[in-house]
Amino acid sequence: MTHNFIILAYLDPGTGSILLQVVLASLLAIAVGFRIFWRKIKGIFRKDTALEDPEAENDDE
Amino acid sequence: MTTSNSKVLGSSFRDPDGFLFEKEGVLYRQVNQSGAAGYQQLMDSGLYQKLIKAQQIIPHLEADLEPPRPKTAYKILQPERVPLISYPYEWSFSMLKDAALTTLSIQRKALEAGMTLKDASAYNIQFMRGKAVLIDTLSFDPYREGQTWDAYRQFCQHFLAPLALMARVDIRLGQLLRVHMDGIPLDLAASLLSPGMWFNGGLMMHIGLHARAQKTYSDPSKPESKPAARWMKKEGLLALLDSLRNTVKKLSWKPAGTEWGDYYNQTNYTDQAFENKRQVLSGWIEKINPAMVWDLGANNGAFSRIASQAGRFTAAFDIDPAAVEQNYRQVKQAKETHILPLLQDLTNPSANIGWANRERDALAARGPADLLLALALIHHLALSNNTPLPGISAYLRELGSSLIIEFVPKSDSQVQKMLASREDIFPDYTPAGFEAAFSQRWEIVDRSPVADSDRVLYWLKGK
Repeated sequence: MTHNFIILAYLDPGTGSILLQVVLASLLAIAVGFRIFWRKIKGIFRKDTALEDPEAENDDE
Repeated sequence: MTTSNSKVLGSSFRDPDGFLFEKEGVLYRQVNQSGAAGYQQLMDSGLYQKLIKAQQIIPHLEADLEPPRPKTAYKILQPERVPLISYPYEWSFSMLKDAALTTLSIQRKALEAGMTLKDASAYNIQFMRGKAVLIDTLSFDPYREGQTWDAYRQFCQHFLAPLALMARVDIRLGQLLRVHMDGIPLDLAASLLSPGMWFNGGLMMHIGLHARAQKTYSDPSKPESKPAARWMKKEGLLALLDSLRNTVKKLSWKPAGTEWGDYYNQTNYTDQAFENKRQVLSGWIEKINPAMVWDLGANNGAFSRIASQAGRFTAAFDIDPAAVEQNYRQVKQAKETHILPLLQDLTNPSANIGWANRERDALAARGPADLLLALALIHHLALSNNTPLPGISAYLRELGSSLIIEFVPKSDSQVQKMLASREDIFPDYTPAGFEAAFSQRWEIVDRSPVADSDRVLYWLKGK
């Protein structure tokens, strides 16, 4: 279903906070990508343990 | 503020998407037209059900009620009532940490459902049945690809900064939240956390660099950034949330070395006195039959549990962060649902604060409780704080309608220790003086000496 309502943020996110967030998000996403890539590389050499990587992150607390 | 016969809550004015009001003692939330998209998507996307299942959001019903402000109204909701509202400056370290992790977990689930949390206020979290839950049903907006997280700054100020200060500098710095209503300013947190903060990746990014970025861009001579710079991939946002979660998770505080931490292991009670006190309390509580109990000076909640385990909602207040922390850990471990440990200094109880002093309620404004427990407390108020007995009696009467209080006489070893280093200026601090002072506002229903000690338990009923 669709609604045509206008969405306005009531919180001031702060210019500095937003710009820092954009920079951090890109860097952290690259770091995550690198970690996944590294895990795959490790997986090639250690196929037997790759499925039970203890460092694999749980999605929830 | 009153609209027809409904009263709008003083804490509910910032968000234009809706507000809370009370009508005939029942709490409702009006959803405005501007909040309709967010509310409808929350309900239709399955996100609400998912959060209910995880016990992370307050349950509500849609109510068929005349809206107090019909011009802007979309719907009226009736949320389940939180037994006792509490504030972040009354929580122990782990309570604030759990509130933070719950907020991040909700934001993750929201993103999966195509939504985002539009705020991350610690005041939107309350403790119900031993768990941190979001009480603001209107905190969700539809997520648009590329959007940044508007609540990032608020999350850092309300959660990350106080947690880092409590864990890494001093547990008492959590009290800064009383002064800073919108969370601890990041430049203040950064200066208190330096230099150690710069060697912790998460704190360096989300507090250190964050404070610097705020300072740089608050300069009015700098031009406003272009909107193009505000675009952010969803993967980036998820990575940012992960980083916040890891940073919060790594912060820890161990309750040790404080004054009261293991009070029950070094108290002068004998086992018999302890057991006798338990039995008397248990019998009286059953006769009083209270729904809401406030245990004042509860320590780690040993006596609060007599009430809570009998199914009565019990708030266990203590001045010591270590005792409250231990109590909360016990609540979590045993999955207890009827006890809420809270930090409270009775010589300076939580006051009415915030805009017009109406946003956050004083302790007394959240009462009265049906029953107060004041065990091994009176000597701290009367002798350490020099509060006259009639003053104690009057304030307790404001807080509750029945009272079980333990009178600790001068002959008690704890009191002797207190008086050892000072002049005894308390001629009225005697059982007779106590009864005379309290009889103005309370009627004595029963009294019982505590075995193996000079202490006496009184059951009092408010006049």
